[in-house]
Amino acid sequence: METIANDFTINIATANGTGSQSANLILLQSLFEMGVPVSGKNMFPSNISGLPTWYIVRLSDNGYQAPGNRTHIQVLLNPATWDEDLASLEPGSVVIWNENAKMEMNRDDVISYPVPMSALARKINPKIAKLVTNIIYVGILAELLGIDQEELEAAVAKQFKGKATAVELNITALGLGRDYFKENLSKNDPYVVEKRVIERPQFFIEGNEAAALGCIFGGVQMLAWYPITPSSSLAEGIINYIPQLRTDDDGNATCAVIQAEDELAAAGMVLGAGWAGGRGMTATSGPGISLMQEFIGLGYFAEIPSVFWDVNRVGPSTGLPTRTQQSDITLLYEGSHGDTQHIVLIPGTVEECFEFGWRAFDYSERYQTPVFGLSDLDLGMNRWACEGFEYPDQAMDRGKVVRERDVFEAFEEFGRYLDVDGDGIPYRTLPGSGMDPILYRGTGHNPKGVYSEKPDDYFELMQRLRRKIDGARDDLPAPILREEDECEIGIIYLGSMENTIQEIDDILEATGIKVSQCRVRALPLHSGVEEFIRRHKTTIVLEINRDGQMYGILRKELPNELITKVRSVAYSDGVPPRAGIYAKLILETLKEGDN
Amino acid sequence: MSDKPARPARAIKLNVLNEPKESYTGGKSSLCPGCGHDQISNVIISAAWENGIEPHRVAKMSGIGCSSKTPAYYLGQSHGFNTVHGRMPSVTTGAYAINKDLLYIGVSGDGDSASIGIGQLIHAIRRNMDMVYIVENNGVYGLTKGQYSATADIGSKKKKGEPNKTQPIDLCALAINLGCTFVARSFSGSKKQLGSLLKAAMSHKGFALIDVISPCVTFNNNDESMRSYGYVKENEITLHMTDYIPHFNPVEEIEVPEGHFRDIELHDGSTIRLETISAEHDPGSAVAALTALHEAESNQKHVTGLLYFDNTKPSLAEDMGLVDIPLVDVPNEELRPNRETLDKINAALHS
Repeated sequence: METIANDFTINIATANGTGSQSANLILLQSLFEMGVPVSGKNMFPSNISGLPTWYIVRLSDNGYQAPGNRTHIQVLLNPATWDEDLASLEPGSVVIWNENAKMEMNRDDVISYPVPMSALARKINPKIAKLVTNIIYVGILAELLGIDQEELEAAVAKQFKGKATAVELNITALGLGRDYFKENLSKNDPYVVEKRVIERPQFFIEGNEAAALGCIFGGVQMLAWYPITPSSSLAEGIINYIPQLRTDDDGNATCAVIQAEDELAAAGMVLGAGWAGGRGMTATSGPGISLMQEFIGLGYFAEIPSVFWDVNRVGPSTGLPTRTQQSDITLLYEGSHGDTQHIVLIPGTVEECFEFGWRAFDYSERYQTPVFGLSDLDLGMNRWACEGFEYPDQAMDRGKVVRERDVFEAFEEFGRYLDVDGDGIPYRTLPGSGMDPILYRGTGHNPKGVYSEKPDDYFELMQRLRRKIDGARDDLPAPILREEDECEIGIIYLGSMENTIQEIDDILEATGIKVSQCRVRALPLHSGVEEFIRRHKTTIVLEINRDGQMYGILRKELPNELITKVRSVAYSDGVPPRAGIYAKLILETLKEGDN
Repeated sequence: MSDKPARPARAIKLNVLNEPKESYTGGKSSLCPGCGHDQISNVIISAAWENGIEPHRVAKMSGIGCSSKTPAYYLGQSHGFNTVHGRMPSVTTGAYAINKDLLYIGVSGDGDSASIGIGQLIHAIRRNMDMVYIVENNGVYGLTKGQYSATADIGSKKKKGEPNKTQPIDLCALAINLGCTFVARSFSGSKKQLGSLLKAAMSHKGFALIDVISPCVTFNNNDESMRSYGYVKENEITLHMTDYIPHFNPVEEIEVPEGHFRDIELHDGSTIRLETISAEHDPGSAVAALTALHEAESNQKHVTGLLYFDNTKPSLAEDMGLVDIPLVDVPNEELRPNRETLDKINAALHS
């Protein structure tokens, strides 16, 4: 039989809360350490224990990080999804199944490896058999695919942080799995793992942890947060790093942490911190952003630096709280009632989660306005490969803050909202300074910050705010372009689609189309995006939602003559994007355009 | 320029900082003439002046409503933030985290505090954040033209409409039950009592709630209203006479009372003196305070004075475990870890 090396997808079906996550991460880590390009996607339920969970491991020498278009190896442990999982497999797939699950193997067109996983686990320790069952299947996979024992043991040690008892128990269980396969089964499938040379060393990290670290290096001074999936680990990441990175020898911190009573309060605290001259932030998800709308408008109108991270999950309403989507784009960009426009930073890699973590504060203080980080569950909570984080290439920008009396007095005229430099960005003083003490307000105000309902004052203020944010366009992270000389089809995409875009590109190019890529990294849109569209015959805006929100923004902002060149491909089912689905939709859309 | 001869200089009274009272005033009020809130603004001005507070070291915080407009009318040298409806406590919390050394004076109303913002009020009390929180409580929504608020007393009738039938929320009772460390009630017409309580609240470390009955002259000052000037004057039960003795020489001399009194020492070394009127009230007893509130309510009276006081609880600043200097003064290089630190983190992640 011809072997298939490093090009297949393993789907592991378990129940939530059974400890399978540790086993899956050990599998992922050991493959990673062998140099195999690999990605892991955790499809977990909104539940602590009992509901179905799938973990998808994709091995791809092409470097494809998306979950594949099909499952090649199914590990079956969960009776609740057993029949469904089996039915979804293509003929010829491999099924490793728990013989003790009291379920039937009703497919004869698959390669079946029955293993008494529960019984083997009970041999080790009946009390924790459920936990151990998971590591048994890792042992089976290791033997079946040829995973290095050394790398497995290192991954176990890493996972359990060297705790001797746990490490020993798991290594024994791995051995039992391996031995069972050797003694009772024989390999009759094509899938193997082959070691690869690691050219540039990488590590695995979740986007939320990378963003948390970025915020720490951005000098965050106050974190106010309310727990919500999938953003909690971003806030907790900051909390975990504070003792090591932001605490003096006496144990006193330079960052305050407040667990707020709700997201409204968290947003209020962020504004309060910005008003007082500090770097305040919160991390939340769509439902939290919905609750924060009123404060977001106040931040825009009163011009208060404030940073909000939105780790997007599936909406609307409670939606699918543990699934991924790019559906808060317009919610952030035009957040709050009235005319608003906000700066949104959109990382597509874990390196960018770190970078935008610190940059968000600089932008927010430079432009004196709310700044959003838009991540999503896929980027935030799954492990992504990373070469390392780069130290900020510029000093902290605290913006136009007048701190000294002589500087203040050198102003010919001072007004909190006076556009002295013509860039729409006024100067501010801080509470406690006694300089230009004004009553900040969400009501209409004149350039001096005094209450005003005068038509001219309101009109001029709103024009200046637009000028200010518009002026940020080319100062924000520029789009990442990968262009073909032919400039035939351009794809505009964003965020975690980065994981899938190359595979989509390859599928499309296999049909003979030349595809260029443009990854948008911020709103308002950089002028480079418009130029990209202008250069290409047709541009597809690819996004993980139903309505094509980024497409809508483009239609609103592009010159009329370009609008007809742009088409939307938007799709979302909660699962991280699979290349096949999007490639098919793009081809259909291009075909429609031809007619 | 006038060519009139200059008037002989009149001796201007100065406070402990050698500041005249004018340093503490604000803009002209746009509230209805006679509004209780304006009286409270005047007491805030006097209290801050007499207490020798540096005017620019105050942060004036408010939500939305008639009361929340008032920060424009006092302490013109202080920064302020007129935030959103009911959410002043959270904004104050964030500001406080960044600059714990300012004196935060929050002004709110009964709509702002007892309805839309009751959750934020509760959690600010729970955290024992250092702030003075004044509720200008008139039982009606003024800016929207006279709807009952959640503090309207049962049986009370505003100028238009039916008497209120819904159980009121007593913010003082609520605060005491939440363990608020300074709880007082006063009346906008009682300048001296309110002044003493306010100065004591400014000297307190922790959350100080002062619920001030402040009649709405436009919508709720008729005879059938239990929050009219006339009704409150007739039906006020004063727990004790209050005097505030600052830790420095006061602007006005305080006479030692002849009868029984109790001195309570405040965080900054100042004292609030409670002079017994009839039965002595022990502000250290939550039960006594709640009893006084309950009895007054049953008799359709308003009880005023320092209801409850507790100086044993740590304030939010102590709980947050921050460096001594306010975070706003921490230099950038201490906020951003250095390059070597990131190198080490990268190395650890690679291992």
